[in-house]
Amino acid sequence: MPKPIAPPAVDRVYTLNLGPQHPSTHGVLRVLLDLDGEFIVKADPVLGYGHRGHEKMGENRTYKQFMPNTSRMDYLSGLLFNHGFALAVEKFAGIDVPLRAKYIRTICAELNRISSHLLWFGTYVMDLGGFTPFLYAFDDRENILDILDRVTGSRLTYSYCRFGGVCQDVDETFLEMTKTFIDRLRSRFSDYHNLVTKNIIFIHRTRNVGVIHPEQARQFGVTGPNLRACGIPFDVRKMEPYELYDQFDFEIPTGTNGDALDRYNVRLEEMEQSCRIIEQALARMPKGGGYLNRSVSSRLTPPKGEVYFAFESARGLTAYYLVSDGSPHPYRCHIRVPSFSNLHVLVDVLRGTMVADAISILGSIDVVIPEIDR
Amino acid sequence: MGSFMASEWFRLIVGLVIVLAFSQLNALFLVWLERKVAGHIQLRIGPKEVGPFGLLQTIADGIKLVGKELITPRSADNKLFPVAPVLVFMPVLVGFLVLPFAPHLIIRDMNVGVLLIFAFSAFTVLAILAGGWSSNNKYALLGAIRSVAQNVAYEIPLLLAVLSVVLMVNSLQFSEIVKAQGRVWFVFVQPVAALIYLICATAETNRAPFDIPEAESELVAGFHTEFSGMRFGLFFLAEYTNMFIVSAVATSLFFGGWQGPFGFDLGIPGIVWFLAKTYVLIFVIMWVRWTFPRLRFDQLMNLSWKFMIPLSLANLIVTAIVLKLI
Amino acid sequence: MGKKELILQKLREMLPEGAVIQHDAYTSGVAFVARVPVSGIVEAAEVCDRGGAYLESMTGLDFEDTAEIVYHMNVYEPKSRFSLRVLFPHDEKIPTLSGIFSSAVWLEREVREFLGFDFLDHPDPRNLLLPEDADFHPLRKTFGKIAAYRKREEIYA
Repeated sequence: MPKPIAPPAVDRVYTLNLGPQHPSTHGVLRVLLDLDGEFIVKADPVLGYGHRGHEKMGENRTYKQFMPNTSRMDYLSGLLFNHGFALAVEKFAGIDVPLRAKYIRTICAELNRISSHLLWFGTYVMDLGGFTPFLYAFDDRENILDILDRVTGSRLTYSYCRFGGVCQDVDETFLEMTKTFIDRLRSRFSDYHNLVTKNIIFIHRTRNVGVIHPEQARQFGVTGPNLRACGIPFDVRKMEPYELYDQFDFEIPTGTNGDALDRYNVRLEEMEQSCRIIEQALARMPKGGGYLNRSVSSRLTPPKGEVYFAFESARGLTAYYLVSDGSPHPYRCHIRVPSFSNLHVLVDVLRGTMVADAISILGSIDVVIPEIDR
Repeated sequence: MGSFMASEWFRLIVGLVIVLAFSQLNALFLVWLERKVAGHIQLRIGPKEVGPFGLLQTIADGIKLVGKELITPRSADNKLFPVAPVLVFMPVLVGFLVLPFAPHLIIRDMNVGVLLIFAFSAFTVLAILAGGWSSNNKYALLGAIRSVAQNVAYEIPLLLAVLSVVLMVNSLQFSEIVKAQGRVWFVFVQPVAALIYLICATAETNRAPFDIPEAESELVAGFHTEFSGMRFGLFFLAEYTNMFIVSAVATSLFFGGWQGPFGFDLGIPGIVWFLAKTYVLIFVIMWVRWTFPRLRFDQLMNLSWKFMIPLSLANLIVTAIVLKLI
Repeated sequence: MGKKELILQKLREMLPEGAVIQHDAYTSGVAFVARVPVSGIVEAAEVCDRGGAYLESMTGLDFEDTAEIVYHMNVYEPKSRFSLRVLFPHDEKIPTLSGIFSSAVWLEREVREFLGFDFLDHPDPRNLLLPEDADFHPLRKTFGKIAAYRKREEIYA
């Protein structure tokens, strides 16, 4: 564990421009690092390379037209963003959803959460120099993409949810594939633990690295697995249950130290919890009852006022803040994204660490830059 | 003329030509092997399109590299920058001169063979430093600095491990060392030294999990970030040739060289024994690379200074005491 | 009594009658809304900070007659989000909360560049997401194509 260093003389510090085209900044993040040797004196993330103005677009589109935008912010858990937006507008406009649709959405959302965590697992170990687990994780993720591809028609930027349901019903093959996948993933976890979790080098690279203290997490508004790794059991699915999450039996995994190893363990355990949710949903899903509430107008107008709807994406607490003036267009459409706060805490955490750890910490935080840039 | 044919000079020239041809072919083969091994470890199949089993893939890649423009960054050191890739390849070639492939297949069986090979391999780090420094790139410089620190740290336990073998045979001549293992390979007599040698050799060749000088997820490509075309190709070939040399040295020092196990050679020619053992060791190094994550720089240093050096010193002292008592 | 109730109590004591409105049904996603004057926002934020809340989100709203900033706070308890709302004229400078919540540094940078609301004594007034030389404010209703520019009372009756 490198100790924080005393502020060095100014002429010893040099600047390293990490990114925006760097193999490990996962997208288009640029971090200006002031270095003393290999130690980081100051880290200044430079954002906005992926800014597309989703919030402004939201003001100029109808609610339905904005749906495809949602999955293009956090492209790794696009279906979760999709789902959240549908829920927000349903809550706003008071739309009923058939029970079967709720189950379908929950299953698909949790599958998407697993796929996001799998990708994180792969890329994180790759950041640490282990290339092989990356392809193992992609092999598993490919199965999820195939399953979701069958029902949603897309592999990454989904637009599956509708206000009042989903756009297409699922069939027996989907249920069968999902069951097979859950079994397969469970059998793969032991491989992951043998290959990565028990690896002595991996443990040395992650234990006590990038520690986020609970107070630090509160100051910066960190949420999601990163917060839970500090030992705070805060998960929107439990705190403000939406959809059917109050009816499922699942736990919130937490860590104790808030270091990279805890974040790793929390995410791996979360995949297992998602599997449990999917299994329960598969068992209870009603056979009929429709998958879409067809009475919803495509130019729906929520009543005047506002709604702030929070849900748990793969990276943490995400929220849509919609203000309606009674017209088909939102007056204001703000999206609270978890990576924004999760990345901000890096400014504090990176101080005094080494370049190699900066990469490791950045990877362990799991940020998706286009989500921050919006 | 006849006297020239029999002379030491002729032997050297022929040897050099063979070495040049062999080292290149061997590197091409190793790159292919690495990709195949990596592929199969990672649930892929690796190269398969060009030639049988994709064997010609690296040749195609080589042709592509030769055809590429040699870019010299504007702020790079004009003299040192183009020389660095050549510098890195030269010491590697010299190593072949003393390798004992078979009883009579040693180009120059010097009485200081072991010393020569390690003296020249220490030269590689100078070339890497030159390459990293002359690129005038912060990633390259960081990679070069790391490389120097790493090589200095790992050369010591490496040499100490080798020294315990030399102490037993009382010779620095490769053929003598191999002959001394006629009955029992030194890996059984000196298991600690063998282990230390293999770990340090992996570090010396900058292979994962000790590949911090070129750690691609941190330093982009480390010391060779700015090199393009065949200049990069030379760094690449040197890495694989280096891998062959350290494995070949390990074979000679610890695994009985051209001899079969426990004096049984099973009628198989010495060169086959030698190459087979060397390639098995290379496979192990590749296997390790595709299994382990990378160490952090300070952990790497700690491993050497706090663990490997004391251990190898202790091993050397124990060896000396035991030899004295016998 | 949870952290949220304690904060609610403190804010009630601090703010004038009728400034804090409770939403027990949690319909718009908040448990209560506190209307805070510009001069009182730092004090109110300090109350939240001491009460163990974190600043979850910060949104600027642009109306024809007024500007507004909504601070969404949350404590790590079930259904405990609440919001502070500040109304102010467009050209007035708001006190920064960056001394209280570290997350406010970036959130205020974002509000400043997108809506052009200025913060008093902000430690790092650069653009966050927009290009560093951008001098426009895209989320202002005067920028680009918009559906409507409304007065505040047209939406919040």
